[in-house]
Amino acid sequence: MPVNIVDLGIVYGVRRTDGRVMVDLTFTAMGCPAADFILEDVRERLLREPGVTEVVVNVVWDPPWTAARMTQAGRDALEMWGLAV
Amino acid sequence: MPTANPSFERLLKKGDLIESPSEMTPDYLRELKHTLLVSGDTELISAPAYYLAAQRAPSINAFMTGIAIIQDELAHAHIAYHIMEELGDDQEQLIFSRDPKSFRYPYAFDVPLATWTELIVANLFYDQAGFCLLGDIHEECSYGPWKRGLNKVMLEENFHLRNGRTWSKRMAQAGGATRDELQQAVDWMFPLTVEWFGLPDSIKTHSTQLDYRLKGKTNDQLRQWWLSLVVPFCEEVGIRVPAHKDGDDYALDYPFPCTFDAEAKRWDFDDPCGWDDVLKRWRARGPRNAEMVAALQEEFHKFRSTHVHA
Repeated sequence: MPVNIVDLGIVYGVRRTDGRVMVDLTFTAMGCPAADFILEDVRERLLREPGVTEVVVNVVWDPPWTAARMTQAGRDALEMWGLAV
Repeated sequence: MPTANPSFERLLKKGDLIESPSEMTPDYLRELKHTLLVSGDTELISAPAYYLAAQRAPSINAFMTGIAIIQDELAHAHIAYHIMEELGDDQEQLIFSRDPKSFRYPYAFDVPLATWTELIVANLFYDQAGFCLLGDIHEECSYGPWKRGLNKVMLEENFHLRNGRTWSKRMAQAGGATRDELQQAVDWMFPLTVEWFGLPDSIKTHSTQLDYRLKGKTNDQLRQWWLSLVVPFCEEVGIRVPAHKDGDDYALDYPFPCTFDAEAKRWDFDDPCGWDDVLKRWRARGPRNAEMVAALQEEFHKFRSTHVHA
């Protein structure tokens, strides 16, 4: 998808303690078929940041994601892609 | 071009889109329907072909990914059959009342995908082949409704490729038995996908589909496009494939075509054959043809016979 996960509104929080980064993340649906890819991308990308040695991703479902959590940039990107949001 | 309709030919040459059957010649309509049928049948049959392997997914998430890909394939089939219905064919008859051997999809799907690994390699090779073939149609297609439908299809195909590439990279890097299993699947599925693009241009010297702008690239050009996408990827992640870069093109490291034992999933590179032999194998269909079509058709007819008013 041509939209990053922050603009999609699925990143609920990021905290860093020394080399350890904790991410609270949700998915647009519990049956998200891309869940594995997203988790892998998040870990891989954060480990490329200087000083990051460990990434912990918590998958959370509260509050449930809705389209209202998207940024305007996210909406624009998805509309360009042909999705009504 | 087997048409003698100057105004239609002018329309095609100008690059205009055809929007309705009233604008078409009978020859164009026949060729368009044939191209749609191949596309619809290929997408449809990939669903039972992939489902056999998706059931062997190594995690719930992986199973969901497999099922989502199957859902996409069914939707893509539906687009092609739906357009055929608009062109006067009966969708129900097309899917549920045809003889298994009359389905027009690549032979590769008739060879069972029995493991998650084989599904991964199918996503890597078969979906990449589908991406090239449909991408070419999307780019060139002279029939407006199909060209517009393919906008969405092409975006969704990327997800299937991602599954193939992510998992095959992961399995190649894992080494040991995991990597061996991946390589084993590649060894029989790579040549089967090379074959997917059909007769070489030296034999197939004329294509009505090209005349009618139902596709833009020849069989060999499509095959080269596919090779240029899969060979560098495989080399990068350490998967061996029997092909190499040779000047601007890719060359195969085995006689093409050659004989294939579908039951054993084994190619005999020491036994070259002619295209007549390949066509004979394709027409006879492979191990899963009848079973997969029956899986699609049987319940439909059973339900109809017992639930007349449903």
